[in-house]
This record gives sequence, C-alpha cells and structure tokens, in this order.
Amino acid sequence: MQTHRHLCILFCIFAGVFLIFSKISYAGENNFEKLRQESAKIKTIQAHFVQKKFMKILSKPLISEGCFYYAAPDSFRWEYFKPLKSIVLTYQNNTKRYIASGGKMMEDKTGGAQAMKIVLGEVTGWMSGRFDQNPSFNAVINEGANTKITLTPKEKSMAGMIEKIEITVSKKAGTVQSVKIFEGVGNFTQINFNNVKINEVINPSVFQDVQ
Amino acid sequence: MKRLSLLILIFVLCSCQTLPLINSPVSLTEEKIFTCPSPFLKSKYRFIQTIEARVAGNTQGAIIGVTVADPATSVVSCAIMTAEGMVMFDAESGPDGLKINRALPPFDSENFAKNMIEDIKLIFFSPVGKIQNRGYLPDGATVCRYLEENGDWIDVITNKSEGVQIKRYSSAGTLKRQIKFKETAGNIYQSIELQAYESFNYSLLMTLIEAQPVKK
Repeated sequence: MQTHRHLCILFCIFAGVFLIFSKISYAGENNFEKLRQESAKIKTIQAHFVQKKFMKILSKPLISEGCFYYAAPDSFRWEYFKPLKSIVLTYQNNTKRYIASGGKMMEDKTGGAQAMKIVLGEVTGWMSGRFDQNPSFNAVINEGANTKITLTPKEKSMAGMIEKIEITVSKKAGTVQSVKIFEGVGNFTQINFNNVKINEVINPSVFQDVQ
Repeated sequence: MKRLSLLILIFVLCSCQTLPLINSPVSLTEEKIFTCPSPFLKSKYRFIQTIEARVAGNTQGAIIGVTVADPATSVVSCAIMTAEGMVMFDAESGPDGLKINRALPPFDSENFAKNMIEDIKLIFFSPVGKIQNRGYLPDGATVCRYLEENGDWIDVITNKSEGVQIKRYSSAGTLKRQIKFKETAGNIYQSIELQAYESFNYSLLMTLIEAQPVKK
C-alpha cells in the first residue's frame, strides 16, 4: 500500500510527460486514436525540467530541477539535481532509486524503487497508445482557447492523494503550457520541460550508471 | 524482610538511569556571568530542509521537510514531501491541539504526528519547564537543566568543541532524544542531527535548504 502511494506522483509526472510529447495538439481533432498513433513513434525522449511545488505552508513555490531520459520499451532515468538529489534508474526490468548522502549516492531502501516499477507498467500501456484505457485514471480532452487534458483517478484510494492532473496545451504554439498535479486545496505541483530531444540516440549507460 | 526491602530498593535504584551530574558555578562572579545556552528561535521562521533518515548509521531514505515555527505562540506547522513533490504529511499544532491535514503511510500513525511536533518544539522552542539546575558537566560543558510538566528533563548544553546540544531525558533519567546543532559558525540550523532512542534507534540528519523569517 505504501508502494502504491509512493508511485502516485511519479505516475502523474509520467502521464504528463508522455501526453506532452505525443503532439497532443492534434488530440482535439481525432482524440485518443491520434495520441495512440503519435505515441507509437516515440523511441527515446530526453529533457530537462523545472518542478514548482505550491503549498499553503510555503510563501513561494519550492523549485526543483532535474532531467529525465527514456528509451523504449522500458529504460528510464529520472533525476533531480536539487534541492534533494535523487535518481531513479530502470533498465532491463530492474529498478533502483538512489539518494545523495554524505557526497555519495546511496540506494533508497524505503520502497521507492518498487513503486517505480509499477509506474513503468503504466507507462508501457501509454506507449502502446492505451491512454483512455488506463485502469487508474479517466482521461478527458476539452477544446477551448487551449487544449486541456484532465486525468482524474478512478480508484478511491488514489483520489485521496491526487485530485486531478491538468495538461494545458497552447493551440497557437502547439506546445504544452503546463502540467499541474493537484493533491488538494492550494497544494499542487507544476512541471515545465525544456531542451526536449525526441528520438535521439541515448547511451545505455545513462540507464545504468548513477553518476 | 528488611534485607529484602533494601535489596529491592537497590535494584530499583540501579535500574534507573541517572542524569549527568551538574557542578554549580563556584564563585558569585561566575554565577553572575553565567548564561544558559539558547539555540532557540526568537521570532517566527519557516525552514525548508532535506531530512535524511538513518538506522544503525545506514541511510534509509530522504525527504523534504517544511516547518513554520512561532515561538511567541508555540504554533507549529509542518509538512513532509518526497523529492517528486508528493505531500506525505501535513499537520499543525496550536492552542486547539494537533490538526492533521494529510497523513499517508508510513506517516499516518497518531504517535508519529505527536512525536514529530514534539521534536520540532524541542529543536526550535525554549523549554516550557522551569530551570532546575545550571552549571557545568564533568567535561566542562555549560548546561541548563529544565523540568518539563510531564516530568521529562531537558538539558541544553554548549561545548566549545561540540557546539550546542539538547538532550531530553525521561523522568527516570533515560535519554530519549539528542539533538546536535552541527554548525558552529553561521546559521545554527544549517545542519541538525536528531538521535532518537526508541524501541529501535534512528537518527535524522536535517540540512537546511532555506530559512525565511515570517512576518505576522
């Protein structure tokens, strides 16, 4: 159960990531079928990100920075540079999570890696184009001035942790404006990606080496 | 019978821990200039810290903690989140008691919330109890000893080589918490180590990300 909760935020982040890079601006025209087709073309992704955490207890957002790499079908690296340096690596069905301690990267023994494995299972589903068949979230696309995709949890247990995820895409620019993960009133996480590279070669060592 | 009673008394006394001996200041001048160590907050502050949990010296995991503490009102708000931003725990403690806004496993036990607020108060707030003794420990460290309402003892210690420490003892004299402010220069809250002596011992290493004064 703890694992299930740990994975929620990662799940949401990856939901956002893959919808972002699936040329979602077409979604309004032919909904999820277009997304399925576009997603199937993605072999690798790499990007930097800035994560802003908004909470009532904070006077200003807590900013985290990091990068991520993905190579089909199941290799991941999700890394935070600051403020809390941590890395999740998945390679050949083996997932590990590391945190910085005393200048070294130490393996996290709290179950985060196991959570990541489950996330990976979900992501594999998305890569197969099953965005609207996710067992955990309902997905709705709304067309307005911008395209907005809203993911809401199906399970009650998850609903207590995540209210919804909103992905807003600018129709003009055809780019994602924001990914917001809402946990409760005044409590949400916003992630912006930059320096995005799709289908460029990634050295397999990126998914194996901690440093 | 008397012998048996004496033996029981000796056994009971031996089974209790004893608080470290405090030597009082020897002269009147020394007594006059004596000041109690006070690493505590003077005004309301917000702290954002990384918190690393260790068991038997081995790192188990790390999280981000946010604390808002007001020494004037003794109100404490705190939150714990993962690196990914998932809020695992969110609570506040004030005149109306403890209010838990969010608590996900493994942070969902009532004891956890209570202990966490107590630990935060131990670190940032001056003890509520009265000073019972003050002076010097055998190693020369300056110490002031407070007796809390619940019978616990709190020693606030300063030592030239080890900096400032806070120790909480049970009424029987058993050490329950030891807090070390590891930074001897600059912001005293830069690096704090909390050692907990429970059914299993653990330690938390708190490293400051940001400290912000909070205007009321």
